[in-house]
Amino acid sequence: MYKNFNFWFAGSLLVSLFVAIPLFTVFLSFFNSTSEYYDLLRNTFLKNYIINSFIILIGVLSLTFIFGVLSAYFVSFYNFPGVNFFKWALILSFAVPAYIYAYSLTAFFENYGTLFSLITFIFGEGNYNKFIPKFDGIFGAIISMSFSLFGYVYVLTRASFYHQSHNLIEVSKNLGYNAKESFFKIILPSARPAIIAGLSLVAMECLADFGTVSFFSVSTLTTGIYNSWLSFDDLNTANQLSFVLLLLILTLFYIENYSRGDAKYHQPTQGFRKIPKIDMVGKKAQLVSILCFLLFFISFIFPTAQMIFWTIKFPKYFDLTNILLLNLNTLTLVIFTSIVLISFSFLINFGNRISKSKILNYLSFFSISGYAIPGVILAVAFITFFSWFSDFFSSFFSTTSIKKIFIGSILGLIMAYFIRFYSLAFNGIRSSYIKINQSIDESSYLLGYTKFRTLRKIHYPYLKNSIYLVSILIAIEIIKELPITLILRPFNFETFATKAYANASQDLLEAAALPSLFIIFWSALLIFYTSKHILSEK
Amino acid sequence: MKILFFLIFIIFNTSNVSASEVNIFSSRHYESDTDLYKKFTDKTGIKVNVISGKDNALHKRIVDEGKDCLGDLYFTADAGKLGSFELQGLFQKGANSEFIKKNIPQNFRSDYWIGIAKRARVIYYNPTKTNPPKNLKYEDLSKEIFKSKIAIRQSNNIYNQSLVASIIEHNGPNETQEWIKGFVKNFARPPKGNDRAQILAVAAGEAEYAIANTYYLALMLSGKKGEEQKNAAKKVIPYFPNQKDRGTHMNISGAGILKYAPNKQNAIKLLEFLLTKESQTHIVNNTFEYPIIKGVEPNKLIAQFGTNFKQDLNTNVSVYSKRQSEALKIMTEAGWK
Repeated sequence: MYKNFNFWFAGSLLVSLFVAIPLFTVFLSFFNSTSEYYDLLRNTFLKNYIINSFIILIGVLSLTFIFGVLSAYFVSFYNFPGVNFFKWALILSFAVPAYIYAYSLTAFFENYGTLFSLITFIFGEGNYNKFIPKFDGIFGAIISMSFSLFGYVYVLTRASFYHQSHNLIEVSKNLGYNAKESFFKIILPSARPAIIAGLSLVAMECLADFGTVSFFSVSTLTTGIYNSWLSFDDLNTANQLSFVLLLLILTLFYIENYSRGDAKYHQPTQGFRKIPKIDMVGKKAQLVSILCFLLFFISFIFPTAQMIFWTIKFPKYFDLTNILLLNLNTLTLVIFTSIVLISFSFLINFGNRISKSKILNYLSFFSISGYAIPGVILAVAFITFFSWFSDFFSSFFSTTSIKKIFIGSILGLIMAYFIRFYSLAFNGIRSSYIKINQSIDESSYLLGYTKFRTLRKIHYPYLKNSIYLVSILIAIEIIKELPITLILRPFNFETFATKAYANASQDLLEAAALPSLFIIFWSALLIFYTSKHILSEK
Repeated sequence: MKILFFLIFIIFNTSNVSASEVNIFSSRHYESDTDLYKKFTDKTGIKVNVISGKDNALHKRIVDEGKDCLGDLYFTADAGKLGSFELQGLFQKGANSEFIKKNIPQNFRSDYWIGIAKRARVIYYNPTKTNPPKNLKYEDLSKEIFKSKIAIRQSNNIYNQSLVASIIEHNGPNETQEWIKGFVKNFARPPKGNDRAQILAVAAGEAEYAIANTYYLALMLSGKKGEEQKNAAKKVIPYFPNQKDRGTHMNISGAGILKYAPNKQNAIKLLEFLLTKESQTHIVNNTFEYPIIKGVEPNKLIAQFGTNFKQDLNTNVSVYSKRQSEALKIMTEAGWK
């Protein structure tokens, strides 16, 4: 037992340390002098960065709250035309990354953009530009992020409603509340933990965003860290900003974990019985139908349609061999990363379980840091660390440089993805693992099963479903991932995201349409496949 | 088992190192550059490998990788960036053949880097609505008569920083500071969008004047952005400022040979290839920039507005790098968002 403890402990420690590399790298560069940039930053920028980040955060949180909670409420408690369709259609918004949403939004509403063309097509020539609302800057960023992130709130709130619906409706009826009263006084408060959990996830994604805000050239904490670190070599400022950002994100993470704990507590363990939903009729039903359709339309159909429109309008950007290659590249990354991530998460979870060590549970806290740090900062910290490590290694062992094994290689990319998505994989598997009762393990030992055999014959079949689900979530994340891939990839290696980025940054969003469409297509397909899991469990 | 070996091979196969290749780190994302590299490979047998990305991140990667960096060339679309690479000792000498010295104006090259193509940052207006004053200079744009008439993008944009850097170089920081204060008051709307959006703002009547790079107008005129934008672009023409003065502000796309380039000779060959008439013609017809060498005409979409305008040939473009952060400071202090 003691021997096992050491082995699993060491393994867990190593993985946790590995995942925490970017965190350490950014913070350990504390001992550098401040540049002139710092004064400038302190006087003018810092305040702006923080204000911008907060405006975006508040805007996105408010909108995702309204969209997510309302749609979850209608879908969970009422029958109206199309309810079974909207139930899963609303999570398709996950397939559209915020930066692609931003491309569509800009192109549609800009002067002489797609909307202008549409109006001209219908009503003939005219000066319509002044009447077309413009979505850009901070406002555009808020809209783009809200429509691509509200799914988090929707999914978690809906799950909470789903498990509680019976009692709640009963209680509010007994109290003589009407629909509005029961929503505000009973239903909303009871779903609070789930709503907060969803909002914290939204907040983390929102603070870590780089693609959308840099497309709209809004300076936020994240772009501030990026610029002070890279343009001005000012590590002090970068660290200070990182500190503020991480503090925010860790707080959110804590809130999220805490709320989830609460949410679990409230879930009825037995006696759960599905109640028939309330039938909505007449104008009310139509109105709710229209609202849900609008949300689905704006979050998913609108950006997808814009991309399809361009792909058809500008067929010269279509290149079949290129498309096949991009698919192959994406597939390679998804397969390797999933295998590595799942194996490690599974084994470390198993280790934590059999060694029953509390310390290991705390160690896994580090695993979140990869998810908390914005991808663009993680990628650069990865380069800095492995350059240092490689220099150290080769001078110590007097070998040739090993840098290119880590930087600019598929292996390096997979390692960076590992850091980024370990928390997703580890916690995904963990949440199902803790549902397997310890007594099952003991029975298995009594039957003479070894630990490894228990893992293979008892745990694995139990966890198969959640492993499948986690792999698909990883796949979706990798398909959409941009900043890490962009800087760490090998020569001549493109994914849909890098291709779309390259075209968008030379102001040819038209050519970015097809790769963007593929990102949406693959993600939507995977989401569709797993919608049952996503919707029923969490 | 075979599959396993194959998979391991894919993972560890960092790059197909062939004897004859050249590696480019590029923050210039033109798809058309790829066709040009193909032509180069067909001609010389030298394979061209590219990683493109954001300027700052590539920069950081080059610094961190140090002497193990596989990059031979660094490509970028701002002279300031080239200058700061030179200052930090990230480039080495090499591209200084007689041909280069003879054909590229002195202010668009140094011993360490060369310009590949030029772009001018000009003023746009709608000739049916606006009649700009004669001999307009950038410096005039702070005057009362332009109040609430000018569209320009944000101060965090590198082209704007380079433009202001060149003005600081000529007029000094104090005078520039005064100028920016007036200039910011003349904005027609809060700065937002890219260069193309500024031109469209003039076409749509949201602003009377816009400041943007030349190739954006040609991009729209080419129809690559669709019919509506093509028609919108036709409403607008460029004005080349400071003609009686130092000339219009120019910037370059350029490249330098990285200090630890493993394939230096191939890098020189590629740079010289990019300066041939054939390559320059290819570049100007795809990106609508101005050619860096003499004897090549710009694309007619941009040449129609005149090719004989006076360019600022006295300012060495690398000073942009020294002045950019000063420029940014002045801009933000004056409330240029």
